[in-house]
Amino acid sequence: MTAVKLTLDRLTKQYRAGLAPAVDRLDMEVEEGHLVALLGPSGCGKTTTLRMVAGLMDPTAGRIVVDGRDITATPVHERGMGMVFQSYALFPHMDVAANVAFGLQMRRVAKSKQTELVRNALDMVKLGHLASRHPKELSGGQQQRVALARALVVEPTLLLLDEPLSNLDAKLRETMRTEIRSIQRRTGATTLFVTHDQDEALDMADRIAVMNGGLIEQFGTPADIYERPRTRFVADFIGRANLFEASVAAASGTGSKGETVYRIDVPGIGTSEAIGEAGLEGSQRTVLVRPHRVQVELGAQPGGLTGTIENVSYTGDALGYSIRLGDVLLQVERHTADGTIPARGEQATVRWAAEDAYVLPEEVRAP
Amino acid sequence: MTASAPAPFKKRVDGGAMAFRVIVALSYLFLLAPLLIVVVIAFSSNQYLSFPPEGFTLRWFAELPQQAGFMQGLQTSLITASAATLIVLVIGVSAALALDRYDVPGKAALSSFFLSPLLVPTIVIALGLVLVLGPLGLTNTYESIVLGHIGITLPYVVRTTLMSLATSDTSCEEAARVLGANAFTVFRRVTLPIIRPGVIAGGVIAFIVSFDEAVISLFVAESGRPTLPVQILRYVEYSADAAVAALSVVLIVFSAVVVVVVERLMGLKRTLA
Ligand SMILES: Nc1ncnc2c1ncn2[C@@H]1O[C@H](COP(=O)(O)OP(=O)(O)O)[C@@H](O)[C@H]1O
Ligand SMILES: [Mg+2]
Repeated sequence: MTAVKLTLDRLTKQYRAGLAPAVDRLDMEVEEGHLVALLGPSGCGKTTTLRMVAGLMDPTAGRIVVDGRDITATPVHERGMGMVFQSYALFPHMDVAANVAFGLQMRRVAKSKQTELVRNALDMVKLGHLASRHPKELSGGQQQRVALARALVVEPTLLLLDEPLSNLDAKLRETMRTEIRSIQRRTGATTLFVTHDQDEALDMADRIAVMNGGLIEQFGTPADIYERPRTRFVADFIGRANLFEASVAAASGTGSKGETVYRIDVPGIGTSEAIGEAGLEGSQRTVLVRPHRVQVELGAQPGGLTGTIENVSYTGDALGYSIRLGDVLLQVERHTADGTIPARGEQATVRWAAEDAYVLPEEVRAP
Repeated sequence: MTASAPAPFKKRVDGGAMAFRVIVALSYLFLLAPLLIVVVIAFSSNQYLSFPPEGFTLRWFAELPQQAGFMQGLQTSLITASAATLIVLVIGVSAALALDRYDVPGKAALSSFFLSPLLVPTIVIALGLVLVLGPLGLTNTYESIVLGHIGITLPYVVRTTLMSLATSDTSCEEAARVLGANAFTVFRRVTLPIIRPGVIAGGVIAFIVSFDEAVISLFVAESGRPTLPVQILRYVEYSADAAVAALSVVLIVFSAVVVVVVERLMGLKRTLA
């Protein structure tokens, strides 16, 4: 049994009357010790949500509950949060040690204890040797670590990170991902992590909240989000996806994890199989097939869907095909195992195991 | 001019550049000539203010401490300029903070209100002050001078502070709040240190402007609390020796030293740019 650390209850922010809300009746529960990613495209309300939790912004409606206590009206400096800003926001006139000690001073921790805690925090982010530097004498990655140490040294109620990796170069970003994650695990700090980068979210998070237009489209584990997206938006936003409409016919069995296996009819192309939630028979739904889950054979073969290769891209490790099946241009990705590279215009047959195609529970949205 | 004859086109450009330089040099000369003449006269042994000098001496400088009027004026000016500067810093920094960091209604109107004394002739302000303070019996006091000088120096402090605020990152203040600092602590520990160059620049300018101001001081406190500029005016009315030129040199050096020291310490130029 794990405890719920943070509850957002119909949390809403409307910047101006008449404007669509930036965050719209958000419900979410975060378990103690979890790292939750708020993931979504720019402008979907991630930062707004984070700032309301921090107390830097008042919600228009809704409640924020931490450890069972409603903190919606608690002023920011009494919330005990730890936050890392996108710009790091280190105090330029203080050295690294003073930056990290600031929160401890505010809590009136004894001087000697402060020194010890600051040293531990800087050791944790591997910056013990730079304690007397000023922020402008540090690289982006080092500033980032100072910001992290400053937020964690106070043992915050929640650790809030707003796109902490977006100002780092690609290589450093990878390293910091692992590092932030391992520090977060060690300290056990319940963390909200804002990002627009799906790889980052999949890699780091225990749970992902996919946001779109101020709403949470789906809240779940990275595997859930990737394998069992509830909406077309989520399927499309996370990873590469083939999405096409199909008529869901009768259930034909049960999958290995208890899902229903359906026969599906893709208009003008043919029939195949896919899994999905129970009760979708007879409906029009969007079907998701990931490019690397499609098997492909050259030529017209029985028992699959046959189409024409429109494009081939060879990247060394992988071979990508675009295969035309009626109205659908199916993206396929295979390892380059057998060495043959098919030509454009050739016929090819695709098929997939029922478990590799997923019928989205969301009804087809009117175009 | 040892090189072979330059191309005609290039020659014309050089001619233009030369003319430009001459004009700039003449303009500077025009602006600085009075200063130069004052400096020369300060060291001149002529009995009366006149040019050119017949010889050179330091006696005008040696006489300065004996001029009771100057010394008293200096004291009044130092007291009023310091008081005006301190008060205007408190008001100006608060106003700038409110204008930049908070959603105050009528922001644009307020901002032009704070900067407006720059546009009103000082003599109008002086006249207004006399008309208001006179009936209240408040003329010829330190307070009357300070009040007038607060009015004319406020725009400088608001300006320089606003500039510092505009270039500073508000997320530092937010970071401090999240870390547990209340509004006052955020200001003292984070905002103020970050905008310090602008505040100091504003303070220095306010002090110099107040110290130098003659019109308001003349109107509101000529008989009771004459400031140094007022004493200088009086002096040249009744005497015509070079002591006043020596005093001017001292004041020029004093202002220059203040500006240079602050520039060295804070980068005044950067905060004004
Ligand atoms: N201070 C503000 N005033 C008005 N609208 C804002 C403000 N901040 C953000 N918004 C709007 O709210 C929406 C969500 O913004 P934000 O939370 O910053 O998105 P994200 O962090 O996901 O990119 C955007 O449409 C943005 O334009
Ligand atoms: Mg954002």
